[in-house]
Amino acid sequence: MAISEQTSIPSTPPITSNPTTSTTTSPPPDCHDSLMPSQFPAVPAVFGPVPNRAYHEGFMRKAIEMAELALASDETPVGCVFVHNGEVIGRGINGTNASLNGTRHAEFVGLAEIMAKHPQRILTQTDLYVTVEPCIMCASALRQYGIRAVYFGCLNDRFGGCGGVMQIHADRGVDPPYPVYGGLFREEAIMLLRRFYVQENEKGWRQAMKTAREVSLTKRLFAAPEPKPKKNRELKTEILPVTNVNPTANLTRTSTPAG
Amino acid sequence: MAARADSKAPSPTEPAELPVRQMIHLKTKEECRLGNETIQVWAVEMPSKHAEGILKVVKDRIEGQDAVDLQHLRRFAKPKSLPKHVLGKRDLIKEMYAIPRAWESTPLSVMQAPSTAVWEYSVPAKPRINHKPQTLYLLICGTNLISLSELHNLLLEYAPFCSSADSWAYPLEIKEVTVPRQAPTSPAQADMWTDNYWPTFYRKTNPFGAHPATIAKAEEDLSHPGYESVGVEEAMILAERAAHETQAMGYGVGPGCTIIERVDNKAEILAVAGDARHKALPSTAGMTDAQDACSGNVMGHAVMRAIGMIGRKRLRVASHPVSSKAAKAERTFENCGLDHDEKARDGFFLDLPVTPLEEEYFAQDNIKPDGYLCLRLEVFLTHEPCIMCSMALVHSRVGKVIFSERMTQTGGLTAEMVSNDTGPVGLGYGLCWRKELNWQFMCWEYAQQEEEKAGKAGKAIPVGNVDHHQATSTASANTNPDQHLALTSAPTSAPAKPTAMLSDDNANVSSFASTHV
Ligand SMILES: [Zn+2]
Ligand SMILES: [Zn+2]
Repeated sequence: MAISEQTSIPSTPPITSNPTTSTTTSPPPDCHDSLMPSQFPAVPAVFGPVPNRAYHEGFMRKAIEMAELALASDETPVGCVFVHNGEVIGRGINGTNASLNGTRHAEFVGLAEIMAKHPQRILTQTDLYVTVEPCIMCASALRQYGIRAVYFGCLNDRFGGCGGVMQIHADRGVDPPYPVYGGLFREEAIMLLRRFYVQENEKGWRQAMKTAREVSLTKRLFAAPEPKPKKNRELKTEILPVTNVNPTANLTRTSTPAG
Repeated sequence: MAARADSKAPSPTEPAELPVRQMIHLKTKEECRLGNETIQVWAVEMPSKHAEGILKVVKDRIEGQDAVDLQHLRRFAKPKSLPKHVLGKRDLIKEMYAIPRAWESTPLSVMQAPSTAVWEYSVPAKPRINHKPQTLYLLICGTNLISLSELHNLLLEYAPFCSSADSWAYPLEIKEVTVPRQAPTSPAQADMWTDNYWPTFYRKTNPFGAHPATIAKAEEDLSHPGYESVGVEEAMILAERAAHETQAMGYGVGPGCTIIERVDNKAEILAVAGDARHKALPSTAGMTDAQDACSGNVMGHAVMRAIGMIGRKRLRVASHPVSSKAAKAERTFENCGLDHDEKARDGFFLDLPVTPLEEEYFAQDNIKPDGYLCLRLEVFLTHEPCIMCSMALVHSRVGKVIFSERMTQTGGLTAEMVSNDTGPVGLGYGLCWRKELNWQFMCWEYAQQEEEKAGKAGKAIPVGNVDHHQATSTASANTNPDQHLALTSAPTSAPAKPTAMLSDDNANVSSFASTHV
């Protein structure tokens, strides 16, 4: 329980439940703002229009399917596929629980499948579709590997490296930057994560009830206080539209929810 | 790659030639960003007997003073403890009422203070110099809280500035003074600020990073390890040896990593890994796929490998519940239709030992069962890790990181971006201590003492200059980012270079500077 909670890559519980804490409404952190004013044009593009959207949604659907499978096995529901010339060459789900390695994110699992059969340079002609924005670590790895483009569902407001917390894909650096397109099936990606947290919480709740019953039986106590799931772990279904990533993009985005 | 066979890491067989190194705690991002902020305050001089009274007036009558914490500054300062430029500041009141007062041109005159019946000799300006050891300067408040004229009118209501004998001896003079906005993070910084701004306390706190006492304790543990323990020097030499071995085999480009668990000053070496980015992938049948000398398989970075080895060790010693949970997660891969070519996977992640030295430490079951990731472990690195590896350390919940050589174009831990005497010092990510992320760890550069002195001299620049430097960088990034890159690729950008590496020609050093470690 502790492991799966703490190692889960993405966490978006507060993404819509409290608009004031949602990172989608706060300006991006300033990691490089004084050095890198040019990074900001890249950020609104995260939820900008996706050219040929239907084509990319087809592959994002496959990434969502991976995440659904993961959720069905009580694994963090993040899924990804790597696509080369219209063909899926790598798929990934979170591998941290299997490896006890907190860095074994879905993207890395997908890369491992690719590199089992292909030379590394294929990545310069390959696009990634991932249900949750890559974290800072993965964003840097993808850039070092020379990924061509990244498409994602929802922002990762805890660790995001492609606009959620930092802009590793676009910052000044020795490797060429790559474009990112966010918001493909965004609501579904968020709902997958919420379902996971509710599911995990209910498991914890059932376990707590069981423990409480055992305690009360063995100690001949009257009913122990009933542990209840935290209110914020209830499954919320309403999802606020993307408001903005960059303050300047505010006006154009509020009325056009992406994804 | 063969060209890189020249030793990047100093040879482990000649430790005597290593210069004496010491740990220098890295500044955090917030320390760099906010630590040099200043704020404008009003200050006024008065006889010390009136000091408490005026302070009470200030506290009672000026609102909003709690919003800004200036506890690190002395509220009252003796004139002699103030910097000369503060004492010599223009009197703003005089400027506001730019009409010369009659007595100022009269050296000596007999006056009667308006509300008293006492006649006295008074020379308004002179008593300060002649007979007044007992004045104090009061730091009133930020200039944003009250306007100059409002403050002037307020103070004129009270002694000694209201009409009284003293008011002629101590005419109200309000100065605007620049003071540090945040508490200093070291005694040296407090001294510097006292000399340059206003008497400043060092209160042994750091609002922007680890507590100074925690840092000091860690430095003591690592610099003076117990008899059977492992210190920073030994751990670093081990990382250098690991780097040297994989480099000699043609796998690595020079970086190495040691991970240690320290409990009650007893240390266990859990993992040792050298860089192995050029170890051939299964898919390439013995050929490495490097486009240039330094890229290769990113998973082969020493940090990623060492973290992976820890995970594999944890699996090996896990209790039944933990290992069955991991096995269940493993089965999920099958449920998801993912291939299970273990050989290919291991070849990609490179989280198994590839040298006898790595094997020696990997083979030991010296890790506690059911520990969590790399929680609070110590990581020793020959080089500052790249952004990916820095974030991998955050994800793995490490406790301390010590690296030897800064990577100014690729490193993810350094928070500073400004240039000092030795050149640009980093990208400014400061991933070791970011409030935005859910984990922070202490981080040190392990550098030569001589360099440390040079570095300090370079950093001891007045506050204003820091912003100026950043503004300059912004301008150059605006106009031509490549130009900025070109500047950072100068060979001077690696400040803590062991002498053994100076034999590299400049081109090599320069290309290595842009390598991700
Ligand atoms: Zn990741
Ligand atoms: Zn790295």
